[in-house]
Amino acid sequence: MEKQLIKDFEKSFKNSNLDSEKINLKKEFLNKFIKEGLPGKNLENWKFSDLSKIIKTEIGDLSFYNDISSPNKIDPSIYLKGMEHNSIVFINGRVEKINLKFEEIDKVEISEDFQSDKTSLDINSLVNLNSAFAEKNFLLTVKENYSFKKPLVVYHYTNKKIKSQNLNLRLNFELEKNTSLKLIDVLDDFSEKNFINTFYSFKLNEDAILKNYKLDIKNNSNIKYSFTNFEQEKNSLSETFILSSGSDFNKNEINCNLNGNYSSAFVNGILSLNKKKHHEIRTNVNHLTESTKSYQLIKSVLENNARAVYQGKIFVSSDAQKTDGYQLSKAILLEDTTEFNAKPELEIYADDVKCSHGSASGSLNENSIFYIMSRGLNYKQAKELLINGFLLDVINKITDEDVKNLIKTMIGIKE
Amino acid sequence: MKTESSQNSREKEIEKLKKYKYGFSTDIENIKAPKGLNEEVIRFISNIKKEPKWLLDWRLKAYQRLKVLKEPNWQKPKYPKINYQDLYYYSAPKSFKEKPKSLDELDPKLLETYKKLGIPLQEQKRLNNIAVDAVFDSVSVATTFKDKLTEKGIIFCSISEAIQKHPELVRKYLGSVIPLTDHFFATLNSAVFTDGSFVYVPPGVRCPMELSTYFRINASDTGQFERTLIIADKGSYVSYLEGCTAPMRDENQLHAANVELIALDDAEIKYSTVQNWYPGDKDGKGGIYNFVTKRGLCKGKNSKISWTQVETGSAITWKYPSCILKGDNSIGEFYSIAITNNHQKADTGTKMIHLGKNTKSKIISKGISAGFSDMTYRGLVDISKKADNSRNYTQCDSLLMGNKCGAHTVPYIKNKNSGSNLAHEATTSKISEEQLHYCQQRGLNSEEAVGLIVNGFCKEVLQQLPMEFAVEAQKLVGISLEGSVG
Amino acid sequence: MLKINNLNAKVGEKSILNDFSLDIKPGEVHAIMGPNGSGKSTLSNILSGKKGYDVSGEIKFEGIDLFSLETEERAHKGIFLAFQYPLEIPGVNTNIFLKTSLNAIRKARGENELDALEFLKLVKQKSKELKFDEEKLNRQLNVGFSGGEKKKNEILQMSILNPKLSILDETDSGLDIDALKTVAQGVNALRKKNNSFLIITHYQRLLDYIKPDHVHVLMNGKITKSGGPDLALELEKKGYEGLN
Ligand SMILES: Nc1ncnc2c1ncn2[C@@H]1O[C@H](COP(=O)(O)OP(=O)(O)O)[C@@H](O)[C@H]1O
Ligand SMILES: [Mg+2]
Repeated sequence: MEKQLIKDFEKSFKNSNLDSEKINLKKEFLNKFIKEGLPGKNLENWKFSDLSKIIKTEIGDLSFYNDISSPNKIDPSIYLKGMEHNSIVFINGRVEKINLKFEEIDKVEISEDFQSDKTSLDINSLVNLNSAFAEKNFLLTVKENYSFKKPLVVYHYTNKKIKSQNLNLRLNFELEKNTSLKLIDVLDDFSEKNFINTFYSFKLNEDAILKNYKLDIKNNSNIKYSFTNFEQEKNSLSETFILSSGSDFNKNEINCNLNGNYSSAFVNGILSLNKKKHHEIRTNVNHLTESTKSYQLIKSVLENNARAVYQGKIFVSSDAQKTDGYQLSKAILLEDTTEFNAKPELEIYADDVKCSHGSASGSLNENSIFYIMSRGLNYKQAKELLINGFLLDVINKITDEDVKNLIKTMIGIKE
Repeated sequence: MKTESSQNSREKEIEKLKKYKYGFSTDIENIKAPKGLNEEVIRFISNIKKEPKWLLDWRLKAYQRLKVLKEPNWQKPKYPKINYQDLYYYSAPKSFKEKPKSLDELDPKLLETYKKLGIPLQEQKRLNNIAVDAVFDSVSVATTFKDKLTEKGIIFCSISEAIQKHPELVRKYLGSVIPLTDHFFATLNSAVFTDGSFVYVPPGVRCPMELSTYFRINASDTGQFERTLIIADKGSYVSYLEGCTAPMRDENQLHAANVELIALDDAEIKYSTVQNWYPGDKDGKGGIYNFVTKRGLCKGKNSKISWTQVETGSAITWKYPSCILKGDNSIGEFYSIAITNNHQKADTGTKMIHLGKNTKSKIISKGISAGFSDMTYRGLVDISKKADNSRNYTQCDSLLMGNKCGAHTVPYIKNKNSGSNLAHEATTSKISEEQLHYCQQRGLNSEEAVGLIVNGFCKEVLQQLPMEFAVEAQKLVGISLEGSVG
Repeated sequence: MLKINNLNAKVGEKSILNDFSLDIKPGEVHAIMGPNGSGKSTLSNILSGKKGYDVSGEIKFEGIDLFSLETEERAHKGIFLAFQYPLEIPGVNTNIFLKTSLNAIRKARGENELDALEFLKLVKQKSKELKFDEEKLNRQLNVGFSGGEKKKNEILQMSILNPKLSILDETDSGLDIDALKTVAQGVNALRKKNNSFLIITHYQRLLDYIKPDHVHVLMNGKITKSGGPDLALELEKKGYEGLN
């Protein structure tokens, strides 16, 4: 792989207009990645999902060169209907279009290729890979006291042109004081057998509110990894919702640093999997100062050889008195071929805190099925009804009504 | 024998003694194997114990394996590198060269020691309904109540004696739960284990009394590597208690025991530990490294193994008493209280491996950390594909006192069976000001109040202990937290 | 017995008690009445030694500066507080709690500690007097007790610990008439022996059964009016607003 990496790197940046300092920085990240390689079982974080092995068996050799010289045409049918929104369109990893037509022009700034700090990016080998190859390094800044009027939808679209390829996508967001943004990621794949590596970073200043909905719905055989970092200042709020279902493999990692008093983070998610799919959500919520709050609820429904993993860690530093941390994961295993693994972790160094976690997994309650069937429904209907109820609970955690309804229709949930 | 490092001023000694009441050492002449770990030492141990060849070979095989094994380092508490060549692997009081036939032949000094520990072997014989096997450094000193047990066909003796008298049982089960090659410390134990207890309860017999072992490390620079093997044959029941103390020494001493339990069809084993090894002084100097491997195999259908532990001692505790639930309908339980204070560290928990159908496990863990200490609960619940209709319930609660200590909860939960149910709950909290105030308003001082509230917090586990032990454990819980409030 | 002079209490910036003064003599029963939030519980908390208040002024109990004593030392000296909201302490057996607490106090007073049998006898007798279901004493302290049971448990503790000064913080709230009588009975039994009481209440009702020597009205952290038992009746009729 090493040779391929070096070759593809040369090819990618041969004609680039980046200055030599930036290229050298990228090279540094490349070398780091070469040294570390793709993560595998030997790493604690990857105990349940051996990425290096999965890529080897599902894709084989990867190509890291992504031809972005010519634009792709955007098929307008990809756009979400029934909801006015701004958009950023990625096609095969290339930024094709940024459209913020609903917003005030001087309230939003997009700077290209902003200088990201070297040390803060040294997070793990996949982020290093991303730093080495990501084409553009956009920073979207929401100016003080401005709230986005409409949601911003980021389309992660891929088509048949690419195969066995590694794509590296990256976006940075800074929300200045007292701002808000609703961000919806739509993963829309028509390609097969690629490895897509996404890195997001959010900086939330005082009183900022960010809502991020990540939707992976469409069936596809790609392998995906996404790392999202949050830095949260005083009184800021983040809400993340992950709907993880479509890709063959998807691991979402969320790292959240609650740096300011009264900041809070909510991470909720659904892993709805079938057909040998293997998805993981891993969270790291770090309570670093007083009076911060986090809440996590992850639900999985598994059938037909699917595997779901939830690793969630709440860390409370000794300065973080009055922390309120909560975490719950639940899974329904519909068949014996499925598997649910969890590692809910607490690491706590302050004594005046309220922290708890819970995890439960098992089959659908036969008594409930019996009860429903005694009211005249058949087994399948009873089962659906119960799964609906199971998932509704976490969907109702979504605070945005439009998105809530969108997701309900997407996964066919009736109330 | 070496005495305590003598430069310590008298006052310091007294101060220490107040805190750890088992911290005396006994002046008894010892026979030791030469320092260091090598084939010679292993042969020496095997020879002095007149072991059969198969056992020597078994030990040597473990030793060969050990040479390629690495010490694990994934645990949270780190410790300075142990020089395994600088330890004694065998130490026995000289008067033991020929094992005493009866208690009357015991060195009076030894009897005195055990009396100080609250285990008067002679009185015990008459008063309490507990049979005791006492292990002093490396050898088993005496087993009380033998006659009464023999009547029922129960074998309770030192493992050395069992090797001589019941080799077929030992050979069949030794290493059957903890394989020779399991991991570094378990393998080390297999190579050099010196003594320990052996219990066999024949089919259908309910052991009429608690069986108990008391471990004491006395000699300095001595590792203690005892080995315990308990077999409950079909339809039998036994309850076993283990207690431990050690004198205070400035250096760290290693304790790496292996305990194997085997429960056949319909049998039940209850294993309780009150671990109060010397924890080191309040600055973290000295104390025992307690790296123990305990594993039970529910081999037969409807069998049950229940571990209860109260871990208050040791500088570092690192152990996971586990159950392999192989027999259908078998049950595994783990009840634990772990308390760390000052600079103590503990990384403890359990593994419940569900292999058979309808197997059930229950984990109740209560961790309390104070001072500068660090506490980790680490556990694994693994429900395999074939373990239909299995259940696990886990409850892990931690209590922190102050913000210089840490509490870490790391459960691994694996479910591969759709017909099985797993539930895990964990909380971390502190003693509320309101609760303290309430108790103090009723006249209790803050330490008494904390002791009371903490005992309440631990109640579910304390209830599992046999009566005599529960009282002792309750006191220990209070003592362990002394100096941690206010 | 208890002399409070110009007590001021603040939590952070909020001042709760302002120049509060009160003098309770041995054998006297004082009632304090006042609207919600007037500072009644703050007063009882401070008397019992609860931390978290900035206080100034002077409190003397039998001539000793109360601020120099820890909470438990005050209890040893004979101050008892029946909490407005008695706490639940999971896992702690009520009987064991009571015995530990009684013996701590006896020990501090230089009396011999009671053994299990003597204690049991005492508890039996007191429970019977106060019609307290003895079986409940084998449960965890206040866990799963109803509101009324918790309050009765406080009174049981009071009669067992035999304090010199008992402070009852709205012990009557939420009690039915029978329970109310029991509370009064507990107080009156202790009263005979020349002990003093500070009874905090909203209602005149309890004072029908425990006749106070003095009644005070507490408003905004200050006693605005004092009088005899009749003041309570007047309050009942006119309300706090009607007083001046
Ligand atoms: N710890 C505290 N922090 C802030 N305010 C408090 C605190 N304790 C009491 N208070 C306030 O002081 C006032 C008096 O409270 P309290 O003594 O409980 O009143 P009462 O018992 O008369 O109803 C109330 O306004 C209450 O909100
Ligand atoms: Mg009040």
